[in-house]
Amino acid sequence: MKIKSILIANRGEIAIRIMRTARRMGIRTYAIKTAKEPNAWYLDEADDIIDFSECLSDTPEFLDIERIIHAVRENNIDAVHPGYGFLAENPIFARRCEEENINFIGPSSEVIYNMGNKTVAKDIARKNKVPLLRGSKGTLLNADYARRFANAIGYPVILKAAAGGGGRGMRVAENEEEVERMYNLASNESAKAFNDPAMFIEKYVAQPRHIEFQILADKHGNIVHLGERECSIQRKHQKLIEESPSPALDPELRETMGNAAVDIAKGVGYFSAGTVEFLLDADRKFYFMEMNTRIQVEHPVTEMVTGIDLIEQMIKVAQGEKLPFAQKDIRLKGHAIEFRINAEDVQSGFSPSLGTIEKISWPESKNVRVDTGVRDGSVITPYFDSMIAKLIVYGEDREKALQESSNAIRKFWIKGTKTTLSFCRAVLQNRNFRKGNFNTSFLSSELKIHYHSEPEEEMLAAFFAVFDFARDLEEAEGKKLNVEKGKNITPWLLNKRLR
Amino acid sequence: MAEKNKGAKNTRKSRMIALSTTEKEYVFTNPLDRKVKYMGETIQIKLYEDPNGFSYVLWKNKKYPLEIIEKNQNKYTVMLNGVWHSFTIETPFSLKRKKFLESQAGTSSSVTIDAPMPGKIVEVLVEEGADVKAGEPILILEAMKMQNEISSHVDGVIRKIAIRQNDSVMKDDLLIEIEKH
Amino acid sequence: MDVNGRNFKKFLERQQVFESQYDSESMKKQHAKGKLTARERIAILFDENTFEEVDAYVSSAKSEGDFGKIKGSFGDGVIIGHGQVHGRLVFAYAQDFNIMGGSLGSIHAAKIMKLQDMALKMGAPIIGLIDSGGARIQEGVASLAGYAGIFYRNVQASGVIPQISVILGPAAGGAVYSPSITDYVFMTNKTSYMFVTGPNVVKEVLNEDVTFDDLGGAEVHAKKSGVAQMIFEDEENTLMGVRRLISYLPSNNLENCPETEPDEDETRDVEEKLRDIVPDDANKPYDVKDVINLIVDKRSFYEISERFAQNLVVGFGRLDGKVIGIIANQPKVLAGTLDIDSSTKGARFIRFCDSFNIPLLTLEDVPGFLPGIDQEHSGIIRHGAKLLYAYADATVPRITVILRKSYGGAYCVMNSKNLGGDFNFAWPTAEIAVMGPEGAVAILYRKELAASDDPAKLKKELAVKYRDEIANPYVADEKGFIDEVIDPAITRKKLKSAFLALENKYITNPTRKHGNIPL
Repeated sequence: MKIKSILIANRGEIAIRIMRTARRMGIRTYAIKTAKEPNAWYLDEADDIIDFSECLSDTPEFLDIERIIHAVRENNIDAVHPGYGFLAENPIFARRCEEENINFIGPSSEVIYNMGNKTVAKDIARKNKVPLLRGSKGTLLNADYARRFANAIGYPVILKAAAGGGGRGMRVAENEEEVERMYNLASNESAKAFNDPAMFIEKYVAQPRHIEFQILADKHGNIVHLGERECSIQRKHQKLIEESPSPALDPELRETMGNAAVDIAKGVGYFSAGTVEFLLDADRKFYFMEMNTRIQVEHPVTEMVTGIDLIEQMIKVAQGEKLPFAQKDIRLKGHAIEFRINAEDVQSGFSPSLGTIEKISWPESKNVRVDTGVRDGSVITPYFDSMIAKLIVYGEDREKALQESSNAIRKFWIKGTKTTLSFCRAVLQNRNFRKGNFNTSFLSSELKIHYHSEPEEEMLAAFFAVFDFARDLEEAEGKKLNVEKGKNITPWLLNKRLR
Repeated sequence: MAEKNKGAKNTRKSRMIALSTTEKEYVFTNPLDRKVKYMGETIQIKLYEDPNGFSYVLWKNKKYPLEIIEKNQNKYTVMLNGVWHSFTIETPFSLKRKKFLESQAGTSSSVTIDAPMPGKIVEVLVEEGADVKAGEPILILEAMKMQNEISSHVDGVIRKIAIRQNDSVMKDDLLIEIEKH
Repeated sequence: MDVNGRNFKKFLERQQVFESQYDSESMKKQHAKGKLTARERIAILFDENTFEEVDAYVSSAKSEGDFGKIKGSFGDGVIIGHGQVHGRLVFAYAQDFNIMGGSLGSIHAAKIMKLQDMALKMGAPIIGLIDSGGARIQEGVASLAGYAGIFYRNVQASGVIPQISVILGPAAGGAVYSPSITDYVFMTNKTSYMFVTGPNVVKEVLNEDVTFDDLGGAEVHAKKSGVAQMIFEDEENTLMGVRRLISYLPSNNLENCPETEPDEDETRDVEEKLRDIVPDDANKPYDVKDVINLIVDKRSFYEISERFAQNLVVGFGRLDGKVIGIIANQPKVLAGTLDIDSSTKGARFIRFCDSFNIPLLTLEDVPGFLPGIDQEHSGIIRHGAKLLYAYADATVPRITVILRKSYGGAYCVMNSKNLGGDFNFAWPTAEIAVMGPEGAVAILYRKELAASDDPAKLKKELAVKYRDEIANPYVADEKGFIDEVIDPAITRKKLKSAFLALENKYITNPTRKHGNIPL
């Protein structure tokens, strides 16, 4: 069952991340090349490239199930790692792999299918006595149903796409008047993004903390949790800064929630890596939200505090090996914070800032880990996400991690696009964040200005603008015009022009 | 006659004002000397410019990476340490002129809603002539796979709708004009 | 002469009266409107201490009757004279709004005409700083006749000496025709405007409400009508812009443009970044100005009519210090298609360069002309023909580099070989064909596509094949319509040597009074 080769059905930083571990394990790696980024860095890190540049259909390359399956068979590749996003939680893809005897590095297609449906997932939680928020048991028939349900549960409510994720296909309705409009907005978005307009409804907890637990399980029934990640710093449900452990949890709550997470995984027959998401309200009550049956973007913070390589474990589990540790062996040491650095213009409401990263540089240190798919000259295209890099900083405790973060961000320089570095700086400056006192409403209510700038910085920018203008003026005025040459016309020409 | 305005051009180079979009005026005399007066001190600034790498300013022993993002005539957008600032470079006279022109325009009665990012118009929620309230959504713009609701930020009447459903727009394109009440 | 005697005293007294016209009160009046005085403008325009005023003391015409009351003055509201700009002789007149509203009376007009005659005699550029209320009603037909005389001389000088108009205040009614005949019109945002009939008359006759700025402000003329080629936010920058433009132009049509020091940096001759700009995907846009800036001497590109017809970029640049005129399709606006506005913009620019012996560089990436009822009914046929005519009629050195698309009629129009292009280069990304691959295969393989089970897929495959076999620059290269397919990285080097070879180019068109360019 040993895996000797893996096709990584993904791109960017996660592709490189998976390839690094695979290479360390002596496994041959294959990457997919697209016409959209023919010079991407991840292609250089793979042992072999499978070229999907020919545009054969309208299906995006990383979503083209049959083409990928075909490529795996043709090249006799043992396994596929889907990364996150794209086909990572697509049960059809997992099933096709199973049918074709390709080792899908992840859970079974059935589990993906079940947990992929939010209402089914909630059912499983309910069966396993895991706390849940009041809401519709199944999907809603239409907006009217939503309205009636909302009136029954009490406002505010959140309308969520059953097939949704990543913050899309969700809208909050504060009162009865808003329900229909929010329903339609969310349903349309879901139909476009996930091909499924089905919605369900839940009581909306105002200002919860988003706490998720990393699960690792093997195919022999052994399941552990690797501690929690605090992911409350979000904007429109997209995570921006994550850390482990959460300043909100004490060992007791950690054990309770961790056990609940393991219970869910057990209840569904999980194996491989996965994440159970909870909401923690102001009264320290937690509620199950959903389970993500894939490796997550923010997995590095867990790796930093547990010392465990999650990708390596995923591959080993896929090979049929038993987990080399039990729950009692899992210890969280120190503190890790991850900052997602995206190509977005914070000052213009985080609007995408596409373009070429001319130069990127960060400080190398033993406490700093940078996962990125971007190097000098990389292009941020509108076809894929706008992530430039993940900056993960480690410290012996949260205070040290915060200090190290400030330092690392100051020395992280990017030229060519606008980035969210100024946002990260603003968060680090915030007193409540430094105290660990925050929840998912942080951006909208706590952080008044989303970017941070020292007082002298505007002055320096102004100086440079004036300097450059003055310099141009000096050059234009000082330029020597050689008029004599203009008057020295050859007799040939002068003769003709005079005519 | 020629004697009269002798120093006109020199004044321009020697005293320049950067007017920020936050209405702050930064005055610099002889900027090419790289000496800046700030908070009571006069400090020498060192500039390191590398067209193929990072440019930065060295100020009180701290390095600030910088980049000119946009430059058009006397309008500049400079990114320093990850935050961009926009300025127009003025002379004392052009600054007075600017202020005069603004006072002339007074409170303009109409407000424009421009596209905050490139995308596609999914739906226009209002009609020309309709009344709108501040905060009321007026159109839906799809960008980077997300549906964004664009709302009016004033109470008023829809004066002009410059786009149609399914139009593609670029950043800053005019979407809707609203006449304030 | 006794400096205390009658003669010198009278001289000084007269000078004092003259200077009192330009006292601080009058300065304040202009400044209060956000405008500079005529003298201040001249001081900025010309090199320090080089301006010499002519006819300063010429007096206004006498008042005549009830309707003809004129406030007499020295100079009659306009300062004329000569000076140096970047060390070269330039003539200029500056209307003084403080004196009878800068209105054009018979003497005022006579002064300007005198200046125009002088400029033409000396073969030096003439700049008009316009700030005038228009024709002086008090002088009736004499004012109008004055305008006509100025227009006549504008036309006589057209193509002989560069003429630039800088609108720094109102220019209404007949006053707008002189600027529109001159080669370049500069305007200052918010304090200058041009229109044939003002808002008052528009309101009276059509009952339409419109402000000065909305009807004929700088933005309107820079963006919509194309009447103003250059627009700046304030007067100082406007005048500095004029100085910059002059540094590219010859003094008259016999001279070559002034040169600057060649770019010392020879490593720029091979510029690998040029390879990265044009995407392989023919439908992806890019900014052609990035290409231009990498080809010309650093910071030497001076764009004309930047806000008008942005699908065609025109302007001046330098190659090793020598001026060239650049015309380039802009793929990121309207996919780079040619339409009415861009055709007229390009045509006028080419005609100017041809008049003044400025060689032309054309960077081509054009999929064709903009389709549509609007364009057709508005006469894209004759406007597009202007661009074609301008190119064919130009006898200056003409070089074309095809960057990417070059389809159909647009291929012919954009300075193709048989239209008289001296050197025609192409980049490997060039696609030269009668029409784009998709369109071509739709026609050539109509039957096969109709019969196929998956026409979309077949069309895609055929389009790829068409691109490989037909729509590439090598076919044209082998037939001799392209001189060479070049590596984008060496474009600058190639152009430098090509223009050098063409320095002495001289050809003539058949002798005739003048051709009949479609108008």
